[in-house]
Amino acid sequence: MTVQERAASRLTAREQRETNLWADAFRRLIRNRAALVGGLIVLGLILTAIFAPQIAPMHYAEGDSYNALTVPSWLAPFLPIKNIQSYAKINNNFLLGSDELGRDIFSRIVYGTRVSLPVGFMGALTALIIGLAYGCISGYYGGKVDNIMMRIVDIMYAFPTMLLIILLMAFFKSTFAQVQEPGTIAYTFNQINKVVDRFLGLQGGGMLFIFMGIGLTAWMGMARLARGQILSLKEKEFIEAAHTVGAGDLRIIVRHILPNILGPCIVAETLAIPGYINYEVFLSFIGLGVDAPTPSWGSMISEGSRSIRSYPHMILFPALALSITMFAFNFLGDGLRDALDPRMRGTS
Amino acid sequence: MNKKFVLVSLLVVVAMLVSACGGGGEKLAKSINLNLGTEPPTLDPGLATDTTSVQCDELLFLGLTDFDDKTLETIPELATKWEVSPDGLTWTFYMRKDVVWVHYDPATKKVTEKGPVTAYDIEYGVKRTLDPVTASDYAYVDYIIKNGQKFNTGEITDANEVGVKALDAYTIQFTLEKPAGYFAGIAGMWVNRPVPREPIEKFGDKWTEPGNIWTNGPYMLETWEHENKMVMVKNPKFFNAKNVSIETINWAMVVEESTAFAMYENGELDVCGVPSADLDRVRADPVLSKELYTAPYLCTYYYGFNNTKPPFDNKLVRQAFSMTIDRKKLVETVLKGGQKPAKTFACPGIFGSPAEDPNFPEIPFDPAKAKQLLAEAGYPDGKGLPEITLMYNTSEGHKRIAEFIQQGWKEHLGVEVKLANQEWAVYLKTVHGPDTPQIYRLGWCADYPDENNWVLEVFHPTLGSNDIKWNNAEFARLTEEAAAASDPAKRKELYFQAEKILVHDEAAIAPIYYYVRVVCTKPYVERTYAPLGGEHIDKWKVKAH
Repeated sequence: MTVQERAASRLTAREQRETNLWADAFRRLIRNRAALVGGLIVLGLILTAIFAPQIAPMHYAEGDSYNALTVPSWLAPFLPIKNIQSYAKINNNFLLGSDELGRDIFSRIVYGTRVSLPVGFMGALTALIIGLAYGCISGYYGGKVDNIMMRIVDIMYAFPTMLLIILLMAFFKSTFAQVQEPGTIAYTFNQINKVVDRFLGLQGGGMLFIFMGIGLTAWMGMARLARGQILSLKEKEFIEAAHTVGAGDLRIIVRHILPNILGPCIVAETLAIPGYINYEVFLSFIGLGVDAPTPSWGSMISEGSRSIRSYPHMILFPALALSITMFAFNFLGDGLRDALDPRMRGTS
Repeated sequence: MNKKFVLVSLLVVVAMLVSACGGGGEKLAKSINLNLGTEPPTLDPGLATDTTSVQCDELLFLGLTDFDDKTLETIPELATKWEVSPDGLTWTFYMRKDVVWVHYDPATKKVTEKGPVTAYDIEYGVKRTLDPVTASDYAYVDYIIKNGQKFNTGEITDANEVGVKALDAYTIQFTLEKPAGYFAGIAGMWVNRPVPREPIEKFGDKWTEPGNIWTNGPYMLETWEHENKMVMVKNPKFFNAKNVSIETINWAMVVEESTAFAMYENGELDVCGVPSADLDRVRADPVLSKELYTAPYLCTYYYGFNNTKPPFDNKLVRQAFSMTIDRKKLVETVLKGGQKPAKTFACPGIFGSPAEDPNFPEIPFDPAKAKQLLAEAGYPDGKGLPEITLMYNTSEGHKRIAEFIQQGWKEHLGVEVKLANQEWAVYLKTVHGPDTPQIYRLGWCADYPDENNWVLEVFHPTLGSNDIKWNNAEFARLTEEAAAASDPAKRKELYFQAEKILVHDEAAIAPIYYYVRVVCTKPYVERTYAPLGGEHIDKWKVKAH
């Protein structure tokens, strides 16, 4: 009858089609066993991080050094040390044993998710935001803009990422380590950091600086990916059509291009999350990561590696937690790619 | 000297398979492999400040005097005897005449004699250390020498005004600013050793490289692959060469203590420091427990407070913090190596240290009293305190201690202290700089076994490095007076008072524990233990095995 009604019905039809598209992807994801298990583990990790105080039997920084280095009784027979009972305290006071200050290793691993997961997600998020914006502008405008912006990325790429992060962290550690006078930039950053730490329920973790260190180095790959995608899209007919009806650049990028490239970008970032978690673990391992006593799996592995010949339980569990998390994210990422990436469709 | 915790595990020895007949038919091995722990920052005796460099210099260069490993007495080395003038200001050392400079060519393995070591070389060495151009961090040790400080700070520019003079080729005379009974020890320190003018002027910074360097000690430098390994060979021209049993020392530079100890356990190494994590196992092991030895080591681990930064500008707060460090529990449950809880800054074995004086009032572990003090200071239950940062140099060992103490402060005082760490070189700059952290950790090791090396040279407001930014007139007066006094009993009494102000009355620092060195040595190594300075490997023997 009237125009309005026709438009409304067209809209519903489109929404339905979109829901079906995502539902389709979801169905494909669930059908992938490995991805499903990975997804469930990731979900479990997120819940662990949120409910850490409820799950952990002790606070991560509390412990009595008289109970230091206890080995759980169930584990002792499996350790590759013959005479461990001659020197170690073996009992059932701690599920996974205790560390050199008598702190519960299980509790510290549980709280460790509050370091690893935020680092993974924040790394992905910053990479997505900065990288997408950068790549879109570069790819869409092309020409000189593209040339300059991509050369900058090339230069950034030329730095070894790990080295760049180490340098950044060393800089942050020397600049922000001390309490500063109000009014300085360092003071402002410290205040923001305190808010972040409090939000994560960690005392003095210095998480903001790890986010910054990883975020500042993680976006280049995403920028390249987004640019490449846009280059192939922007000559397509529907973009030309948008131009002809007079749509502005911003509208074309946000409404027409972004939805089409978001899938592959999200997949790429999911696959990059284990990398970000790895960066943090590595930084904490060499002492440039979170500040003590905040437990990071990296710092726990570092502590454990020093006593590996006498108390292998200290390195075993954080290392296990780390590898399980890595597997989970990788499987989930693979599954998401199969489900979302248009080019992979129908190739299963 | 400042030292890193890891350096406690100094020596790793691997005996090489080569063995030979020693005197008396005893089968001896000719070489030994040791672990330096890290790359020595320098081999230049004038520039050395750390235990690693000092260890190398001990084997390459002789000093006028040395310390006896057992009694800590000053014994002659390059000097044969010395005389002090009645006013205590003029010291004359008579030197051996049979010591020569040698140059070793690593390519041809040729040893060349380069003339005798004379008093002129010592005069040159002392003046070079004090020369502002050399920029020696340890020049302040020589401020006791007449005009030493003035020359070093550029107040005077004529090196000849410095109180050191070679009277003839084998007699050297020092004139001091004021009497110092401990000067014989200082005269033998690495900064005052004779150094060869010719290669220094020819090669500049590179004079300590193999092939360039001239040495006069029991060993010569054969190889120095930076950050990797160093090889020293016996000096055949050394005056006591016939009593030096080990002919080749191969130094590894394994930083990680646990890695080095794994090598020791695998039989690759013969001597190794024991990491605290492995101590329980070593003690329970029938073989390793017999190889374990705890040697004294003249160092103290302490936390300094920046006495100008709130809240540590308040003595009550400092006392409260020092009082809630459970040193005994820390030593027994975390360190476990037989370290002793510290109640003074200078450790036992240092002349003038009241560490073993039962009358010395120590800061007790008393959480209730500490709480009360904190409340008196205006911070009941820690309320109203500004943010506090404790800083240490990046290391698992320091981290563990910091976490332990932080936990105690939280539990007993209700204060949350932030932990921060920096890499050693950056850290030293932070601590020595104008913006010293509120609480920082450092260790101090004796350069010579006298309290002067501790209270005055570390915490005197103007003569010491005084990282705690502390200005106590009474303390300054006591330490100055003790430095100039000659009566040992009087000096002891003055140092008692000074230490009491430093750690008890004012609690300007919190001493934590006295170091020990926990070492495993394979049974076929006959060795000595040096409580300060470097090990005397020329006196060691490795039996064939």
